[in-house]
Amino acid sequence: MTVAPWSRRTTLVVRAVGIAALVSVVATLWLGIWVTPPDQVQHDLVRLVYVHPPIAWVALYLAFGTAALASILWLWRRTRSPMWDRLAASAVEVGAVFTALTLVTGSIWGRPTWGVWWAWDARLTSTALLLVMLLGYLALRRVPGDPDARARRCAVAAIIAAVDVPIVHFSVVWWRTLHQGATVLNANLSPTIHGSMAWTLLLGFVAFTLTFVWMLAQRMRIETLSQQLEGAELDEALQERWAEGAPAAASAPARAGAAEAAP
Amino acid sequence: MSYIAAGYAIALGTLGVYALSLVRRRRRLEALAARVERDRP
Repeated sequence: MTVAPWSRRTTLVVRAVGIAALVSVVATLWLGIWVTPPDQVQHDLVRLVYVHPPIAWVALYLAFGTAALASILWLWRRTRSPMWDRLAASAVEVGAVFTALTLVTGSIWGRPTWGVWWAWDARLTSTALLLVMLLGYLALRRVPGDPDARARRCAVAAIIAAVDVPIVHFSVVWWRTLHQGATVLNANLSPTIHGSMAWTLLLGFVAFTLTFVWMLAQRMRIETLSQQLEGAELDEALQERWAEGAPAAASAPARAGAAEAAP
Repeated sequence: MSYIAAGYAIALGTLGVYALSLVRRRRRLEALAARVERDRP
């Protein structure tokens, strides 16, 4: 087993991304709670816009986009590499955390604005379905077996789950839902938010994107180390078995020779 | 204000805890991998 440590450059880049993520998240928090003005309709509740959509952006588009793309690259023979499998698995785990937070922050926003914590409307239900599929993917990864077979079934599962992403995105257009339409990524691509509120929202998107990148790098490293240790354990077990078998194999011809020599 | 505080606290608190767990898992595995490497004949 060779434990390749992160190079100095990678360590510095990951650390810089982590610091930038922390600073931008703190800035979003400060601007979102204390600096930006309240909304005319939603009043102070609008402040949740600086966390809920950026978290949903990471969950739906970044995490799922990464997982689906990495899965396709793993399934395609020309580009197949264990790295894509590790990337997909890492993106799904981080994505599951962000998807759960999308549902929780949405629910906290929904209670005072809609009067209910949860409604079986198209946007909420399709997002909940996505979380269930992500958890299914993570369960599938824990099924023991050949690493290639595991990577294949997980890649297929990720691609099937990714089909739900456009359904979540367009759910507010295709069906009548409680959830409002897109604020930024709408049909006309003209944001319906302006001034300091728009800049703070943009900063929120940057902050959570950086957070996702840092988490993905950490999770990738964990996945790489786990697989290397799994391989090392297997090597060790095989060596032990060979060592157990070696004296028996070496003594077998000697016993045969002794039997022949006996009168 | 309580809904806003709850939203921010849950979102940032969960991400913080998850980030710490990632760093702990990575450090534990790095230490384990280094030990395996050292003990290797």
